[in-house]
Amino acid sequence: MSDMPWRLAARSLKRDLRSADVRALFVALILAVAASTMIAFFLDRLERGLERQAGQMLGGDLVLEQRSPFSPELRATLEEAGFALSDQVDLVSMISLGERFQPASLKAVDDIYPHYGVSRVDLGNGVEQIASGPPAGQAWADPRLAQLIDIELGDRVQVGQTELTISGIIEREADQSAGFGNFNPRLMLNTADLEATGLVQEGSRVEFELLAAGPPQALDQVQGLLTELRQAGVEVRDVRVDRPQLGNALQRADSYLGLAGLAAVLLAGVAVAMSARRYVERHLDTAALLRCFGASQQQLVALFSLQLIGLALIASLIGALLGLAGQAILLRLLVSFLPMTLPPPGIMPLWLGVLTALAVLVGFAGPTLLRIKQVSALKVLRRELDPLPPAAWLVVAVAAVVFGGLLWLYSGSLPLAVGLLLGGAVMLAVLWGISALLLNGILKGVKRLTGTGEWSQALRLGGRQLARRREAGVGQLLAFSVTFFAMAMIVLVRGDLLSTWQAQLPDDTPNYFAINIQPGERDAFEQAVAPRVDTQSTLYPMVRGRITAINGQVPQDAVPEDARGDGSLRRELNLTWQAELPEGNQVVAGEWFAEAHEAPEPQGWLSEVDATPQEALVPISMEEGLANRLGLTLDDTLTFSVGGDELTTRITSLRSLNWDSFKPNFFVIFPPGVLESFGHSYITAFHLPDAEQSLIRQLVSDFPGVSLLNVDAILGQVRDVLAQVTRAIELVLLLVLLAGVSVLYAALTASQPVRAHESGLLRVFGAGTRMISRVQGAEYALLGFASGLMGAVLAEIATAALYIYWLELTPRLHLMLWIALPLGGALLIGIIGHALSRSLRRQAPAASLGLLGET
Amino acid sequence: MLQAERLTKTVVSGERTLTILHELSLSVAAGESVAILGKSGAGKSTLLGLLAGLDTPSDGELTLFGQPLSRLDEDGRAGLRAGRVGFVFQNFQLLPSLSALENVLLPMELSPRAGEEQAAKSWLAKVGLEERIEHLPKQLSGGEQQRVAIARAFVTDPELVFADEPTGNLDPDTGAQIIDLLFTLNQEAGTTLILVTHDHALARRCDRCLQLAQGRLLPFVPDASEGGGQ
Repeated sequence: MSDMPWRLAARSLKRDLRSADVRALFVALILAVAASTMIAFFLDRLERGLERQAGQMLGGDLVLEQRSPFSPELRATLEEAGFALSDQVDLVSMISLGERFQPASLKAVDDIYPHYGVSRVDLGNGVEQIASGPPAGQAWADPRLAQLIDIELGDRVQVGQTELTISGIIEREADQSAGFGNFNPRLMLNTADLEATGLVQEGSRVEFELLAAGPPQALDQVQGLLTELRQAGVEVRDVRVDRPQLGNALQRADSYLGLAGLAAVLLAGVAVAMSARRYVERHLDTAALLRCFGASQQQLVALFSLQLIGLALIASLIGALLGLAGQAILLRLLVSFLPMTLPPPGIMPLWLGVLTALAVLVGFAGPTLLRIKQVSALKVLRRELDPLPPAAWLVVAVAAVVFGGLLWLYSGSLPLAVGLLLGGAVMLAVLWGISALLLNGILKGVKRLTGTGEWSQALRLGGRQLARRREAGVGQLLAFSVTFFAMAMIVLVRGDLLSTWQAQLPDDTPNYFAINIQPGERDAFEQAVAPRVDTQSTLYPMVRGRITAINGQVPQDAVPEDARGDGSLRRELNLTWQAELPEGNQVVAGEWFAEAHEAPEPQGWLSEVDATPQEALVPISMEEGLANRLGLTLDDTLTFSVGGDELTTRITSLRSLNWDSFKPNFFVIFPPGVLESFGHSYITAFHLPDAEQSLIRQLVSDFPGVSLLNVDAILGQVRDVLAQVTRAIELVLLLVLLAGVSVLYAALTASQPVRAHESGLLRVFGAGTRMISRVQGAEYALLGFASGLMGAVLAEIATAALYIYWLELTPRLHLMLWIALPLGGALLIGIIGHALSRSLRRQAPAASLGLLGET
Repeated sequence: MLQAERLTKTVVSGERTLTILHELSLSVAAGESVAILGKSGAGKSTLLGLLAGLDTPSDGELTLFGQPLSRLDEDGRAGLRAGRVGFVFQNFQLLPSLSALENVLLPMELSPRAGEEQAAKSWLAKVGLEERIEHLPKQLSGGEQQRVAIARAFVTDPELVFADEPTGNLDPDTGAQIIDLLFTLNQEAGTTLILVTHDHALARRCDRCLQLAQGRLLPFVPDASEGGGQ
């Protein structure tokens, strides 16, 4: 007898696949697994892909930078850990071609360069992709440098004490990140020629960079070493920390995908719960009969568990395959910004999928399934002996605990999971109450319908039917509301996410930066540019300054240990002054400058820092991220060395700003009236339409000192990524919508016998098919309307909370939602329900009454 | 085969205690067929439930296949039934999603044995449904459904078959055919039959007729007013 459950379970499962509830259960499980595995697979690979991309932008997975050459011991340690190393030296020097001189930013690369990606270089045969730097004896100039001193391919330029042949014009460097710290045009050369230039000497401002590429384990292995290096003042850039600027958008997409995955799982769970109810009701008879034939409780439990576990396993397999296919499609959509070779999908997400299916099954169907065990054999003689359905709170509680566990598993954050769960529980309780009130309202409303037309009669009857089955009605209302809520939320968040991205990079996003505009040229430059560009940012004055003291201490001693090598302490910062808070900046702490700052008497801040009363210090506004990195807060004092003078300042406000905005952004802003006397130039950004490209040539000749930076390529890349991520999001959205429809299908299937009974009765009492059809339609439509209304309330509250706490968007009211969801709900449920009950309406009343077993 | 000693069944309904069966005793020998007659609400189904071990008496002792049921729990009683007891119900109790053959196979799946499908088919042939083994219950008439149920009751070669108003849902002609079939098969198999009905004509075909009234079981005394009607 021991092998009974296996065989019987297998047979029953095969037979059961014919019935609507099992199919609904099956589809719901498949969707849950497909959604979770697809997103898990995808995020897993995307994560690794992004790291690789960050590596490309940085030039390696790990980049060290300091003022002196790196020791052989350090190299050995890194190589032992599994890194490939490449050397790079950066310095600024004057170069010349004939009589023309120009300061250039020199970048000397070795033969290993670049670790990742390719450079775009014109070697004379058009632009090619090249995965190396210039060979010894040669150099590549960027187009700006070429233009400034009129370089042609083959010219020999003087670099320090040597001459190099210009063999290429480099349009894009393999490891070019979108930083504008260096305003000088680029000359790339080979490290082999560096010595001959004689530029690297004791005391010269040279940056040595060690670029390391290696597997994640290698990075893990050297974390301790990195901390030491940071404390020793070495600037350390690590792919995991120093994400590219795309990070912000992708971070949100990542959050969104996770959210959508959870929504799909939740929806599938609701569908599973609803189909399980019908499944159990349908199998109570089977269970009672088997009991009659001599099956023990244990055998019954084994039989039905095996059957459902079998179902779950098949569903996870199909779901996981779909998930695999789905992630492949997702990756295809994103292929142009992901590195070509992504690691293959791991096995982890597969387990996650199986786990999800089983968890959803146990959590959302478990308590209901236990009912089967309690069935009495006597039920075969006395039909009314159905075991009581499990208490609603138990079903919800078990489902909540399991879903909370999944939330924890997926988000990796226990507080978030518990918070969402508690919030959800409170919301559900409130909803329960509102549903009951709403049903009462519907009942009252339809009672007032006094018309004698067929439609008002149908509405009256349909409304009454709905309100009469209070328990089931509230349950369905809740299930549909949650479904509409999850669907609406995913749609809303998608819309807001996309419009935020679009708003972030509108068509007229600046594609040129102009730097080094001298105060004397300012007005002329503005007049030349203004009429021909779409948009132009403010002209920001810019002064270079170095932080020389923090709270009266040497900066490296005043900041957290791992910030000692921070670039902001090692390089000059671009300082500006503004009376108004720049567009796109937000004060997150303290207050923006009240009035134009009264310049204190020079002696007040030129020296004797300690004696200066706090109020007399120059107020400054600092970017939040930098302040956090350096461990600074309001009222901390910073001393800047500007043009040889010392300026002691006090942080009076912290700002958040959008680094992805393609507008000039500043770490530190001074009030007007402090920096004007120092040497300064202006920076601006503008969008030049394609038709006006001739302006560039004119600007270069009229304002030879002004550097123009074209960021079209970077901008295009960012836009590409956003477009691709958008498509990925739409694919996931589709999955969530499908899961939603599966809920509707499951719920409507589950309630069919009751409805069949009712329409059978109506028919017995003399209602025609048309009447019954309208009554059913009216009932479904009312149900849909009420659910849509509640779904809208929920979605509005939940999205607001999500925006504030998770996605960092500004919440807003979605008016369309309040119209679309109730009406759409009425239409959707009306149509699906009406179509599903078509066959019922065709049945003779005896048959539909018989469906309930009333013989 | 089956011994009932002073069986009592009381149910509490609100504040009143209703006695449905009162100190009822009964003994059924192997191979015997016993009819239990009674009006609607007399407690026939309750008695059948007790005799089959589907329910427990409030008092008294029941011995089935030599085993006192009071010493067995629900699962123990179920185990006792497995493969040894067949049932025919008034409302057939076929599972709607299973074909005729699958319905007949159902009790065998609890105690698998070789050639079970063959056995099920041959029983379906005996009840005259060899052509309809793949049909679902809803594709069968009431009489045909009850034939499937009869095949299902006999397929495990049970020692004891319980029949609860087997013709209750059928018209007189079909009912008569079903009765003929039931008794023929019962005699062929030498099975013990306990049949609950309110149909006197059906009851008379059993070896012994008992009447259930006021919770007690009395020998059946036919009177003039109770002819052979349904």
